[in-house]
Amino acid sequence: MIVIKDVHKRYRTDHGPGKWVLQGVNLTIPSNVNVGLIGSNGAGKSTLLRIIGGIDHPNKGQVERRCRLSWPMGQGGLEPSLTGRQNAKFVCRVHGHQDDLTDRLAFIQDFSELKAAFEEPVNTYSSGMRSRLQFAMSLAFDFDIYISDEVTAAGDAAFRDKAAAAFKSMANRAGLIMVAHSDSTLRQFCEAGILLYQGKAQWFDDIEEAFKAYKDTIKK
Amino acid sequence: MSEVRNPMVVSFAVWKAIFLREALDRLFDMRAAWFWLLAEPVLHIGFLVFIFTVLRMRTVGNADVAVWIIVGMLAFFLFRRTAVQVTYAVDSNQPLFTYRQVKPFDPALARAVLEAFLMAIISTIILSVAALLSHDTWPHDPLLVLSAVFGLWLFGVGYGLVASVLMALVPEMEHILKILMLPLYLISGVIMPLVVIPQPYLDLLMLNPIAHGLELVRAGFFPYYHTVQGLSMEYLYAWAIVSLFLGLMLYRRFALQLVMK
Repeated sequence: MIVIKDVHKRYRTDHGPGKWVLQGVNLTIPSNVNVGLIGSNGAGKSTLLRIIGGIDHPNKGQVERRCRLSWPMGQGGLEPSLTGRQNAKFVCRVHGHQDDLTDRLAFIQDFSELKAAFEEPVNTYSSGMRSRLQFAMSLAFDFDIYISDEVTAAGDAAFRDKAAAAFKSMANRAGLIMVAHSDSTLRQFCEAGILLYQGKAQWFDDIEEAFKAYKDTIKK
Repeated sequence: MSEVRNPMVVSFAVWKAIFLREALDRLFDMRAAWFWLLAEPVLHIGFLVFIFTVLRMRTVGNADVAVWIIVGMLAFFLFRRTAVQVTYAVDSNQPLFTYRQVKPFDPALARAVLEAFLMAIISTIILSVAALLSHDTWPHDPLLVLSAVFGLWLFGVGYGLVASVLMALVPEMEHILKILMLPLYLISGVIMPLVVIPQPYLDLLMLNPIAHGLELVRAGFFPYYHTVQGLSMEYLYAWAIVSLFLGLMLYRRFALQLVMK
Protein backbone atom coordinates (compact mmCIF):
# COMPACT_ATOMS: atom_id res chain seq x y z
CA MET A 1 0.00 0.00 0.00
CA ILE A 2 1.22 3.49 -0.78
CA VAL A 3 -0.11 6.47 1.13
CA ILE A 4 0.38 9.89 -0.44
CA LYS A 5 -0.39 12.76 1.89
CA ASP A 6 -0.84 16.35 0.75
CA VAL A 7 2.01 16.25 -1.78
CA HIS A 8 3.00 19.61 -3.28
CA LYS A 9 5.64 19.91 -5.98
CA ARG A 10 7.09 22.71 -8.05
CA TYR A 11 10.38 22.94 -9.88
CA ARG A 12 13.06 25.58 -9.68
CA THR A 13 13.35 27.51 -12.93
CA ASP A 14 15.77 30.20 -14.12
CA HIS A 15 13.20 32.78 -13.02
CA GLY A 16 12.69 31.56 -9.47
CA PRO A 17 10.23 28.90 -8.38
CA GLY A 18 7.95 27.64 -11.16
CA LYS A 19 4.24 27.08 -10.93
CA TRP A 20 2.87 24.27 -8.78
CA VAL A 21 2.82 21.02 -10.72
CA LEU A 22 1.18 19.10 -7.89
CA GLN A 23 -0.83 20.98 -5.33
CA GLY A 24 -2.19 18.88 -2.52
CA VAL A 25 -2.32 15.35 -3.88
CA ASN A 26 -3.90 12.87 -1.44
CA LEU A 27 -4.12 9.23 -2.49
CA THR A 28 -4.03 5.75 -1.04
CA ILE A 29 -2.98 3.17 -3.60
CA PRO A 30 -3.60 -0.46 -2.56
CA SER A 31 -1.08 -3.14 -3.47
CA ASN A 32 -3.32 -5.35 -5.56
CA VAL A 33 -4.80 -2.83 -7.99
CA ASN A 34 -3.55 -1.82 -11.41
CA VAL A 35 -4.03 1.88 -11.80
CA GLY A 36 -3.39 4.20 -14.74
CA LEU A 37 -2.44 7.85 -14.41
CA ILE A 38 -4.41 10.07 -16.76
CA GLY A 39 -3.85 13.72 -17.49
CA SER A 40 -2.81 16.11 -20.25
CA ASN A 41 0.84 16.78 -21.07
CA GLY A 42 2.54 18.56 -18.20
CA ALA A 43 -0.17 17.63 -15.72
CA GLY A 44 2.47 16.03 -13.50
CA LYS A 45 2.07 12.33 -14.31
CA SER A 46 5.78 11.55 -14.50
CA THR A 47 6.49 13.88 -11.59
CA LEU A 48 4.03 12.00 -9.42
CA LEU A 49 5.57 8.68 -10.48
CA ARG A 50 9.05 9.93 -9.62
CA ILE A 51 7.85 11.13 -6.22
CA ILE A 52 6.13 7.81 -5.53
CA GLY A 53 9.30 6.02 -6.65
CA GLY A 54 11.35 8.03 -4.17
CA ILE A 55 13.78 9.56 -6.65
CA ASP A 56 12.23 13.01 -6.49
CA HIS A 57 10.98 14.66 -3.36
CA PRO A 58 7.90 16.76 -2.73
CA ASN A 59 8.29 20.35 -1.53
CA LYS A 60 5.61 19.60 1.00
CA GLY A 61 3.76 16.49 2.12
CA GLN A 62 4.99 12.92 2.25
CA VAL A 63 4.78 9.49 0.69
CA GLU A 64 4.69 6.31 2.74
CA ARG A 65 5.70 3.13 0.95
CA ARG A 66 4.38 0.19 2.91
CA CYS A 67 5.47 -2.46 0.42
CA ARG A 68 8.26 -3.44 -1.92
CA LEU A 69 8.12 -0.90 -4.68
CA SER A 70 9.99 -0.91 -7.98
CA TRP A 71 11.93 2.02 -9.41
CA PRO A 72 10.09 4.07 -12.07
CA MET A 73 10.67 1.76 -14.99
CA GLY A 74 11.19 2.88 -18.53
CA GLN A 75 12.87 6.22 -17.88
CA GLY A 76 16.64 6.11 -17.67
CA GLY A 77 18.39 3.95 -15.13
CA LEU A 78 21.05 2.82 -17.58
CA GLU A 79 24.65 4.00 -17.37
CA PRO A 80 25.71 4.51 -21.03
CA SER A 81 29.38 3.59 -20.68
CA LEU A 82 28.69 0.22 -19.08
CA THR A 83 27.61 -2.87 -20.97
CA GLY A 84 24.12 -4.31 -20.71
CA ARG A 85 25.43 -7.04 -18.43
CA GLN A 86 27.24 -4.59 -16.14
CA ASN A 87 24.14 -2.44 -15.86
CA ALA A 88 22.03 -5.49 -15.05
CA LYS A 89 24.56 -6.62 -12.45
CA PHE A 90 24.45 -3.21 -10.82
CA VAL A 91 20.67 -3.30 -10.51
CA CYS A 92 20.74 -6.86 -9.14
CA ARG A 93 23.30 -5.91 -6.51
CA VAL A 94 21.44 -2.78 -5.47
CA HIS A 95 18.31 -4.87 -4.98
CA GLY A 96 20.16 -7.40 -2.85
CA HIS A 97 20.43 -10.25 -5.34
CA GLN A 98 24.13 -10.95 -5.00
CA ASP A 99 23.51 -14.64 -4.32
CA ASP A 100 21.37 -15.47 -7.33
CA LEU A 101 23.11 -13.02 -9.65
CA THR A 102 23.78 -15.61 -12.36
CA ASP A 103 20.14 -16.67 -12.63
CA ARG A 104 18.84 -13.12 -12.86
CA LEU A 105 21.44 -12.15 -15.44
CA ALA A 106 20.59 -15.23 -17.51
CA PHE A 107 16.91 -14.27 -17.36
CA ILE A 108 17.61 -10.66 -18.38
CA GLN A 109 19.86 -11.67 -21.27
CA ASP A 110 17.38 -14.29 -22.44
CA PHE A 111 14.25 -12.14 -22.18
CA SER A 112 15.77 -9.01 -23.72
CA GLU A 113 16.96 -11.10 -26.71
CA LEU A 114 20.06 -8.93 -26.84
CA LYS A 115 22.32 -11.99 -27.35
CA ALA A 116 25.90 -10.85 -27.99
CA ALA A 117 24.96 -7.17 -27.68
CA PHE A 118 24.46 -7.80 -23.96
CA GLU A 119 28.25 -7.50 -23.65
CA GLU A 120 28.41 -4.19 -25.55
CA PRO A 121 28.17 -0.73 -23.92
CA VAL A 122 24.64 0.62 -23.68
CA ASN A 123 25.58 3.76 -25.66
CA THR A 124 25.95 1.54 -28.74
CA TYR A 125 22.34 0.31 -28.41
CA SER A 126 19.44 1.38 -30.58
CA SER A 127 16.44 2.81 -28.72
CA GLY A 128 14.59 -0.47 -29.22
CA MET A 129 17.44 -2.43 -27.69
CA ARG A 130 17.61 -0.07 -24.73
CA SER A 131 13.94 -0.42 -23.96
CA ARG A 132 14.13 -4.21 -24.34
CA LEU A 133 16.89 -4.24 -21.75
CA GLN A 134 14.91 -1.94 -19.44
CA PHE A 135 11.88 -4.12 -19.85
CA ALA A 136 13.74 -7.34 -19.10
CA MET A 137 15.31 -5.77 -16.00
CA SER A 138 11.93 -4.66 -14.73
CA LEU A 139 10.64 -8.24 -14.92
CA ALA A 140 13.66 -9.78 -13.20
CA PHE A 141 12.66 -8.77 -9.68
CA ASP A 142 9.67 -9.38 -7.44
CA PHE A 143 7.92 -6.27 -6.25
CA ASP A 144 4.54 -5.72 -4.63
CA ILE A 145 3.88 -2.70 -6.80
CA TYR A 146 5.50 -1.83 -10.11
CA ILE A 147 5.84 1.72 -11.41
CA SER A 148 5.83 1.88 -15.18
CA ASP A 149 6.55 5.08 -17.10
CA GLU A 150 5.95 4.07 -20.73
CA VAL A 151 7.74 0.78 -20.30
CA THR A 152 5.62 -1.30 -22.67
CA ALA A 153 6.29 0.74 -25.81
CA ALA A 154 9.31 -1.41 -26.59
CA GLY A 155 10.85 -3.30 -29.46
CA ASP A 156 9.50 -4.83 -32.66
CA ALA A 157 6.15 -6.57 -33.14
CA ALA A 158 7.26 -10.04 -32.02
CA PHE A 159 8.89 -8.70 -28.89
CA ARG A 160 5.88 -6.49 -28.12
CA ASP A 161 3.56 -9.52 -28.04
CA LYS A 162 5.86 -11.42 -25.71
CA ALA A 163 6.35 -8.32 -23.56
CA ALA A 164 2.61 -7.65 -23.32
CA ALA A 165 1.98 -11.24 -22.19
CA ALA A 166 4.73 -11.08 -19.57
CA PHE A 167 3.56 -7.67 -18.43
CA LYS A 168 0.00 -8.94 -18.11
CA SER A 169 1.02 -11.88 -15.92
CA MET A 170 3.13 -9.58 -13.78
CA ALA A 171 0.25 -7.14 -13.47
CA ASN A 172 -2.00 -9.99 -12.36
CA ARG A 173 0.33 -11.07 -9.60
CA ALA A 174 1.34 -7.59 -8.32
CA GLY A 175 0.10 -4.03 -8.29
CA LEU A 176 0.89 -1.59 -11.05
CA ILE A 177 0.95 2.18 -11.38
CA MET A 178 1.41 3.25 -14.95
CA VAL A 179 1.64 6.14 -17.35
CA ALA A 180 1.14 5.48 -21.05
CA HIS A 181 0.53 7.71 -24.03
CA SER A 182 -1.99 5.38 -25.61
CA ASP A 183 -5.40 4.96 -24.01
CA SER A 184 -5.65 1.37 -25.26
CA THR A 185 -2.54 0.36 -23.28
CA LEU A 186 -4.03 1.81 -20.12
CA ARG A 187 -7.36 0.06 -20.79
CA GLN A 188 -5.53 -3.20 -21.46
CA PHE A 189 -3.69 -3.30 -18.13
CA CYS A 190 -5.52 -1.11 -15.64
CA GLU A 191 -8.86 -1.35 -13.92
CA ALA A 192 -8.63 1.81 -11.80
CA GLY A 193 -7.58 5.31 -12.81
CA ILE A 194 -6.19 8.47 -11.31
CA LEU A 195 -6.95 11.74 -13.02
CA LEU A 196 -4.44 14.54 -12.57
CA TYR A 197 -5.94 17.93 -13.24
CA GLN A 198 -4.75 21.35 -12.10
CA GLY A 199 -2.40 19.93 -9.51
CA LYS A 200 -4.99 17.71 -7.85
CA ALA A 201 -5.51 13.99 -8.13
CA GLN A 202 -8.79 12.16 -8.21
CA TRP A 203 -9.23 8.40 -7.79
CA PHE A 204 -11.66 6.39 -9.93
CA ASP A 205 -12.37 2.72 -9.23
CA ASP A 206 -13.17 2.25 -12.92
CA ILE A 207 -10.72 3.55 -15.47
CA GLU A 208 -13.56 4.31 -17.92
CA GLU A 209 -14.94 6.80 -15.41
CA ALA A 210 -11.53 8.42 -15.23
CA PHE A 211 -11.38 8.75 -19.02
CA LYS A 212 -14.86 10.26 -19.03
CA ALA A 213 -13.85 12.80 -16.38
CA TYR A 214 -10.68 13.55 -18.36
CA LYS A 215 -12.73 14.25 -21.51
CA ASP A 216 -14.87 16.66 -19.50
CA THR A 217 -11.80 18.60 -18.34
CA ILE A 218 -10.66 18.98 -21.96
CA LYS A 219 -13.98 20.43 -23.09
CA LYS A 220 -13.80 23.23 -20.55
CA MET B 1 6.46 -11.41 -0.20
CA SER B 2 10.15 -11.21 0.70
CA GLU B 3 11.11 -9.61 3.99
CA VAL B 4 12.19 -5.99 4.31
CA ARG B 5 15.95 -5.49 4.12
CA ASN B 6 17.74 -3.72 6.93
CA PRO B 7 18.82 -0.17 5.85
CA MET B 8 22.45 -0.99 6.59
CA VAL B 9 22.24 -4.06 4.37
CA VAL B 10 20.81 -1.91 1.57
CA SER B 11 23.61 0.65 2.01
CA PHE B 12 26.32 -2.01 1.87
CA ALA B 13 24.74 -3.56 -1.21
CA VAL B 14 24.70 -0.13 -2.89
CA TRP B 15 28.30 0.66 -1.88
CA LYS B 16 29.50 -2.64 -3.23
CA ALA B 17 27.59 -2.21 -6.50
CA ILE B 18 28.87 1.34 -7.03
CA PHE B 19 32.41 0.45 -6.02
CA LEU B 20 32.53 -2.31 -8.63
CA ARG B 21 30.89 -0.12 -11.26
CA GLU B 22 33.35 2.71 -10.57
CA ALA B 23 36.33 0.35 -10.58
CA LEU B 24 35.33 -0.92 -14.02
CA ASP B 25 34.93 2.61 -15.29
CA ARG B 26 38.22 3.81 -13.87
CA LEU B 27 40.29 0.84 -15.06
CA PHE B 28 38.70 -0.10 -18.38
CA ASP B 29 36.84 2.98 -19.59
CA MET B 30 39.19 3.83 -22.46
CA ARG B 31 41.71 1.60 -24.11
CA ALA B 32 44.20 0.71 -21.32
CA ALA B 33 42.80 3.27 -18.87
CA TRP B 34 44.60 1.38 -16.11
CA PHE B 35 47.91 2.02 -17.85
CA TRP B 36 47.41 5.79 -17.76
CA LEU B 37 46.50 5.69 -14.07
CA LEU B 38 50.00 4.38 -13.45
CA ALA B 39 51.73 6.27 -16.28
CA GLU B 40 50.65 9.75 -15.14
CA PRO B 41 52.56 9.77 -11.82
CA VAL B 42 55.43 7.76 -13.33
CA LEU B 43 55.94 10.32 -16.09
CA HIS B 44 55.74 13.27 -13.68
CA ILE B 45 58.23 11.61 -11.33
CA GLY B 46 60.55 10.47 -14.09
CA PHE B 47 60.68 13.93 -15.66
CA LEU B 48 61.38 15.72 -12.37
CA VAL B 49 63.95 13.21 -11.17
CA PHE B 50 65.71 13.60 -14.51
CA ILE B 51 65.74 17.40 -14.27
CA PHE B 52 66.91 17.43 -10.64
CA THR B 53 69.69 14.91 -11.04
CA VAL B 54 70.92 16.52 -14.26
CA LEU B 55 71.21 19.74 -12.27
CA ARG B 56 73.44 17.70 -9.93
CA MET B 57 71.09 18.06 -7.01
CA ARG B 58 71.28 14.67 -5.36
CA THR B 59 69.80 15.44 -1.96
CA VAL B 60 67.02 17.67 -0.64
CA GLY B 61 67.29 18.41 3.08
CA ASN B 62 69.33 15.26 3.65
CA ALA B 63 67.00 13.04 1.63
CA ASP B 64 67.56 11.13 -1.61
CA VAL B 65 66.07 13.45 -4.22
CA ALA B 66 64.45 10.64 -6.25
CA VAL B 67 62.62 9.23 -3.24
CA TRP B 68 61.84 12.77 -2.08
CA ILE B 69 60.06 13.49 -5.37
CA ILE B 70 58.35 10.07 -5.53
CA VAL B 71 56.92 10.36 -2.03
CA GLY B 72 55.76 13.96 -2.43
CA MET B 73 54.26 13.31 -5.84
CA LEU B 74 52.38 10.18 -4.77
CA ALA B 75 50.97 11.91 -1.68
CA PHE B 76 49.92 14.88 -3.79
CA PHE B 77 48.33 12.64 -6.43
CA LEU B 78 46.40 10.84 -3.71
CA PHE B 79 44.94 14.15 -2.56
CA ARG B 80 44.24 15.53 -6.03
CA ARG B 81 42.75 12.38 -7.53
CA THR B 82 40.51 11.79 -4.53
CA ALA B 83 39.39 15.43 -4.55
CA VAL B 84 38.64 15.48 -8.30
CA GLN B 85 36.96 12.06 -8.37
CA VAL B 86 34.72 12.90 -5.41
CA THR B 87 33.87 16.29 -6.93
CA TYR B 88 32.42 14.67 -10.04
CA ALA B 89 31.01 11.56 -8.31
CA VAL B 90 27.36 12.66 -8.50
CA ASP B 91 27.60 14.00 -12.06
CA SER B 92 29.07 10.79 -13.42
CA ASN B 93 26.45 8.58 -11.80
CA GLN B 94 23.35 10.59 -12.67
CA PRO B 95 21.45 7.70 -14.37
CA LEU B 96 21.89 5.46 -11.32
CA PHE B 97 19.83 7.72 -9.05
CA THR B 98 16.79 6.18 -10.78
CA TYR B 99 17.12 3.53 -8.08
CA ARG B 100 16.02 5.17 -4.85
CA GLN B 101 18.40 2.97 -2.84
CA VAL B 102 21.26 5.03 -4.29
CA LYS B 103 21.83 8.29 -2.40
CA PRO B 104 24.10 11.13 -3.59
CA PHE B 105 26.67 10.36 -0.90
CA ASP B 106 27.12 6.73 -2.02
CA PRO B 107 29.08 7.31 -5.25
CA ALA B 108 31.24 9.92 -3.44
CA LEU B 109 32.19 7.39 -0.78
CA ALA B 110 32.76 4.60 -3.30
CA ARG B 111 35.01 6.82 -5.40
CA ALA B 112 37.04 7.98 -2.40
CA VAL B 113 37.68 4.40 -1.26
CA LEU B 114 38.46 3.28 -4.80
CA GLU B 115 40.98 6.09 -5.25
CA ALA B 116 42.73 5.20 -1.97
CA PHE B 117 42.81 1.58 -3.09
CA LEU B 118 44.25 2.38 -6.52
CA MET B 119 46.82 4.82 -5.15
CA ALA B 120 47.97 2.19 -2.63
CA ILE B 121 48.65 -0.22 -5.49
CA ILE B 122 50.28 2.46 -7.67
CA SER B 123 52.46 3.66 -4.77
CA THR B 124 53.58 0.11 -3.98
CA ILE B 125 54.55 -0.48 -7.60
CA ILE B 126 56.47 2.78 -7.95
CA LEU B 127 58.27 2.46 -4.61
CA SER B 128 59.18 -1.17 -5.33
CA VAL B 129 60.61 -0.28 -8.72
CA ALA B 130 62.63 2.52 -7.10
CA ALA B 131 63.87 0.03 -4.50
CA LEU B 132 65.00 -2.30 -7.28
CA LEU B 133 66.92 0.66 -8.74
CA SER B 134 68.76 0.70 -5.38
CA HIS B 135 67.02 3.67 -3.75
CA ASP B 136 66.16 3.31 -0.09
CA THR B 137 62.35 3.50 -0.21
CA TRP B 138 61.45 1.89 3.11
CA PRO B 139 59.90 4.50 5.50
CA HIS B 140 61.68 4.78 8.83
CA ASP B 141 58.42 5.72 10.57
CA PRO B 142 55.55 3.93 8.74
CA LEU B 143 52.91 5.08 11.24
CA LEU B 144 53.74 8.74 10.65
CA VAL B 145 53.53 8.13 6.89
CA LEU B 146 50.17 6.36 7.22
CA SER B 147 48.61 9.02 9.42
CA ALA B 148 49.79 11.85 7.17
CA VAL B 149 48.58 10.02 4.05
CA PHE B 150 45.24 9.30 5.70
CA GLY B 151 44.93 12.99 6.62
CA LEU B 152 45.58 14.00 3.00
CA TRP B 153 43.05 11.49 1.75
CA LEU B 154 40.45 12.67 4.26
CA PHE B 155 41.03 16.28 3.20
CA GLY B 156 40.64 15.19 -0.42
CA VAL B 157 37.25 13.64 0.39
CA GLY B 158 36.16 16.73 2.34
CA TYR B 159 37.30 19.07 -0.42
CA GLY B 160 35.52 16.97 -3.03
CA LEU B 161 32.24 16.91 -1.10
CA VAL B 162 32.27 20.67 -0.52
CA ALA B 163 33.33 21.39 -4.10
CA SER B 164 30.60 19.26 -5.67
CA VAL B 165 27.87 21.01 -3.67
CA LEU B 166 29.31 24.47 -4.44
CA MET B 167 29.41 23.60 -8.14
CA ALA B 168 25.83 22.38 -8.09
CA LEU B 169 24.66 25.59 -6.38
CA VAL B 170 26.87 28.04 -8.30
CA PRO B 171 27.96 26.62 -11.67
CA GLU B 172 30.71 29.27 -12.08
CA MET B 173 32.52 27.73 -9.11
CA GLU B 174 33.86 25.01 -11.41
CA HIS B 175 36.16 27.52 -13.14
CA ILE B 176 37.30 29.06 -9.87
CA LEU B 177 38.10 25.69 -8.30
CA LYS B 178 40.04 24.61 -11.39
CA ILE B 179 42.09 27.81 -11.22
CA LEU B 180 42.76 27.14 -7.52
CA MET B 181 43.85 23.56 -8.22
CA LEU B 182 46.51 24.57 -10.73
CA PRO B 183 49.05 26.41 -8.51
CA LEU B 184 48.50 23.86 -5.74
CA TYR B 185 51.05 21.64 -7.43
CA LEU B 186 53.66 24.38 -7.06
CA ILE B 187 52.85 25.87 -3.68
CA SER B 188 52.43 22.54 -1.87
CA GLY B 189 56.13 21.76 -2.21
CA VAL B 190 55.79 18.87 -4.64
CA ILE B 191 58.57 20.14 -6.87
CA MET B 192 60.19 22.91 -4.89
CA PRO B 193 61.52 22.25 -1.37
CA LEU B 194 59.63 24.62 0.92
CA VAL B 195 62.64 24.98 3.26
CA VAL B 196 64.39 27.23 0.74
CA ILE B 197 61.58 29.77 0.87
CA PRO B 198 62.33 32.77 3.12
CA GLN B 199 60.08 34.25 5.75
CA PRO B 200 57.49 35.79 5.78
CA TYR B 201 56.42 33.95 2.61
CA LEU B 202 56.97 30.52 4.14
CA ASP B 203 54.35 31.17 6.82
CA LEU B 204 51.87 32.09 4.08
CA LEU B 205 52.60 28.89 2.17
CA MET B 206 52.26 26.84 5.34
CA LEU B 207 48.62 27.95 5.62
CA ASN B 208 48.06 25.30 2.97
CA PRO B 209 47.28 21.98 4.74
CA ILE B 210 48.53 19.94 1.79
CA ALA B 211 52.04 21.37 2.28
CA HIS B 212 51.91 20.08 5.88
CA GLY B 213 50.74 16.69 4.67
CA LEU B 214 53.49 16.29 2.07
CA GLU B 215 56.26 17.35 4.45
CA LEU B 216 54.94 15.01 7.14
CA VAL B 217 54.92 12.07 4.75
CA ARG B 218 58.51 12.86 3.82
CA ALA B 219 59.50 13.27 7.47
CA GLY B 220 58.16 9.74 7.98
CA PHE B 221 60.32 8.39 5.18
CA PHE B 222 63.69 9.96 5.93
CA PRO B 223 65.22 9.69 9.43
CA TYR B 224 67.37 12.88 9.22
CA TYR B 225 65.15 15.00 7.01
CA HIS B 226 65.46 18.78 7.44
CA THR B 227 61.85 19.76 7.36
CA VAL B 228 60.03 23.07 7.52
CA GLN B 229 59.56 24.69 10.93
CA GLY B 230 56.07 24.54 12.43
CA LEU B 231 54.94 21.33 10.77
CA SER B 232 51.69 20.17 12.34
CA MET B 233 49.68 16.99 11.93
CA GLU B 234 46.85 18.61 13.92
CA TYR B 235 46.61 21.41 11.37
CA LEU B 236 46.20 18.92 8.51
CA TYR B 237 43.58 16.95 10.43
CA ALA B 238 41.72 20.11 11.45
CA TRP B 239 41.28 20.99 7.77
CA ALA B 240 40.43 17.40 6.88
CA ILE B 241 37.79 16.96 9.55
CA VAL B 242 36.23 20.42 9.21
CA SER B 243 35.97 20.08 5.42
CA LEU B 244 34.63 16.53 5.72
CA PHE B 245 31.88 17.49 8.14
CA LEU B 246 31.07 20.66 6.23
CA GLY B 247 30.82 18.54 3.09
CA LEU B 248 28.58 15.98 4.78
CA MET B 249 26.35 18.73 6.13
CA LEU B 250 26.08 20.34 2.70
CA TYR B 251 25.25 16.94 1.20
CA ARG B 252 22.51 16.44 3.74
CA ARG B 253 21.07 19.88 3.13
CA PHE B 254 21.45 20.04 -0.66
CA ALA B 255 21.26 16.35 -1.63
CA LEU B 256 18.21 17.00 -3.79
CA GLN B 257 19.74 19.87 -5.75
CA LEU B 258 22.67 17.60 -6.57
CA VAL B 259 20.52 14.94 -8.12
CA MET B 260 17.72 17.00 -9.66
CA LYS B 261 17.93 19.38 -12.54
